[in-house]
Amino acid sequence: MLVLQVLANGLILGGLYACIAAGFSLVWGVLNIINILHGSFIVLGGYLAFFAYSIAGIHPFASILIAAPLFFALGYALQAGLINRMIAAPVLLTLSLTFGLDLMLANGMLVAFSADFRKIILDPPLGVLSVGPLVVPVDRLTAMILALALTGLLYLLLARSRIGRAIVAVRMDREAAALMGVNVKRIYAVTFGLGSLMAGASGALLAMIFPISPLVGPAYLGKAFVICVLGGLGSVPGAMIGGLALGVVESFGALWLGPEYAVPLSFTLLILVLIVRPSGLLGKRGYE
Amino acid sequence: MKRPIAGAALAALTAVFAVAASAQDTIRVGAPLPMTGPLSPEAVKQQRGYNLWAETANAAGGVKVGAKRMKVEIVYVDYQSNTPRAVQAAEKLITQDKVSFLFSPFGSGATKAASGVSEKYGVPTLAATASSAQVYDQGYKYLFGTFTPNDTLTEPLSDIVRKAAPGVHRVAILARNDLFPLAIAQEMEKSAKKRGMSVVYFEKYAIGTLDHASALTQIKAQAPHWIFATGYTNDLVLMRKQMADLKLEAPVITMIAAPAYQEWIDATGKLSENVTSAAWWHPAVRYKGKDLFGSTESFVKRFQAKYKTLPDYAEASAAAAGAILQMAIEKAGTIDPAKVRNALASFNETTFWGPVKFGPTGQIVSLEPPVFQIQGGKPTVIHPAAIRQGELRLGVK
Repeated sequence: MLVLQVLANGLILGGLYACIAAGFSLVWGVLNIINILHGSFIVLGGYLAFFAYSIAGIHPFASILIAAPLFFALGYALQAGLINRMIAAPVLLTLSLTFGLDLMLANGMLVAFSADFRKIILDPPLGVLSVGPLVVPVDRLTAMILALALTGLLYLLLARSRIGRAIVAVRMDREAAALMGVNVKRIYAVTFGLGSLMAGASGALLAMIFPISPLVGPAYLGKAFVICVLGGLGSVPGAMIGGLALGVVESFGALWLGPEYAVPLSFTLLILVLIVRPSGLLGKRGYE
Repeated sequence: MKRPIAGAALAALTAVFAVAASAQDTIRVGAPLPMTGPLSPEAVKQQRGYNLWAETANAAGGVKVGAKRMKVEIVYVDYQSNTPRAVQAAEKLITQDKVSFLFSPFGSGATKAASGVSEKYGVPTLAATASSAQVYDQGYKYLFGTFTPNDTLTEPLSDIVRKAAPGVHRVAILARNDLFPLAIAQEMEKSAKKRGMSVVYFEKYAIGTLDHASALTQIKAQAPHWIFATGYTNDLVLMRKQMADLKLEAPVITMIAAPAYQEWIDATGKLSENVTSAAWWHPAVRYKGKDLFGSTESFVKRFQAKYKTLPDYAEASAAAAGAILQMAIEKAGTIDPAKVRNALASFNETTFWGPVKFGPTGQIVSLEPPVFQIQGGKPTVIHPAAIRQGELRLGVK
């Protein structure tokens, strides 16, 4: 029974992880940008949901609808106005740029919101779902389902829509895509916008679950890194599988080895995957 | 090309003179703090306490040093919640900023790490947030702490629980793997075993853990009567929520050190109800001090006037560190480090913080820390008897 409960905990945690990583993976895979800002965008999405709920009483699930267009616009503008200027530069330069922007955003939030930890407390709480001896918190479960739905939508967008196909084309071969008439800069901006949208939306979901503070971004970013390497870069199903795998591994690691080993275990896993299967579980070989 | 250089040289020269001039009539106290990073909320609290002390002292004309009065200046350095940087910051404050005294970085771990530096240079150092005995057992002469050892928290707590609920005998302990949270968890284990309780679970979790579900699931399987969890605000907000998520309930749930903070109560909401905790100070204590703040009431009033909120133990301890340093300097009649150090070692006075007397290791031995429980969304003192506001309530859901 203990094992089943831990598996349930792990899967739900993994669903949240998948949501944290999907946008990060997309941006890294398509743009070859390691977007250090991703963690802080999640936090910003959390604050948006927190204030929407505490001031206007908007439910965090509903505030995703506000966060999504706002964060898409923010990401689009950032890419079009700033990052596109140095997109052709080596990856370390764009990393430095997003690192700098992240410092500005994190410290801006520190000034604006103070360092206090806050959390959305739903009134009345969503409670827990009991299935036999198993208990599953409804807020986590719903957040996980929404997160997976969002990630699924992103997958469909990439697989079916015209713009999605263009994104995939740019990812495969930028020059060839440009020759086929794809406006590469615009596709970059749309992709970054989508990545930001995913960050903002997952932030709104996570605000009910994790305490929010301006400086917790790096914790999310660390998870996103591990998940991307596990699942394979730029692949949406990869982020989903990677997230679920990490959630389950951490949960059982904590059960069998003790909770102090859950975090080191995830990074050990990262190194192992890099050695054994550098392209990740679902990544394509030869594509970085 | 020449002019900017000449200008810069002039500016540098003026700066040197300014420092030289100010060095004569101000007392510079260095304070390395984790102003950014995960511990930044703690730095804000420390700063509030130090600033309130400095402002109050300066408004009264400064600290009396022999025949003259000297103003106080606190020099802050951000060590970004990174302990090795706290050590560097302490060294920089002493060697470059030429501070005469030091307030320790936050918490037992960083205080212990930085205490080697202040000892090396012979700079009297007051630790406002370090309680673990392991910080003070290095034989250092210049380190003084305002928190009593950890067992002064777990002992009265265990007595109260034992008395109120004799049926409580299965204890589960989950501790953050960090100097203070782990040290107090180990004291709790001793206190519990001493009273014949059995510790059915004892595990550590890593700093930065985002999920406690596995540990809590295991604890639930042990059906403990008393869950004792340690960590800082973010850890314990998440953990309390996950306990509810897993329907983990117990007659007694104790969390240290967050519940003394209003932000923890705000971030956990109704789940904070009946959680017990202990701290080194509470605004309800009543002492008549000889320090600049006078009584506890007048300290609380001043604090509230400035920050529009009640002081918690961390904020009060920082202000107390300043007040104690001031009294030691005034007693020594000089800012000579060795003489102020001796004044601290023989210190025996009552302050708004409580009676202050340091033991041979430099750690305070004279305080009786209050035990409290969140009742109706407010910390309610249940021990010591003299300031009791309510009785222990059993059952945390």
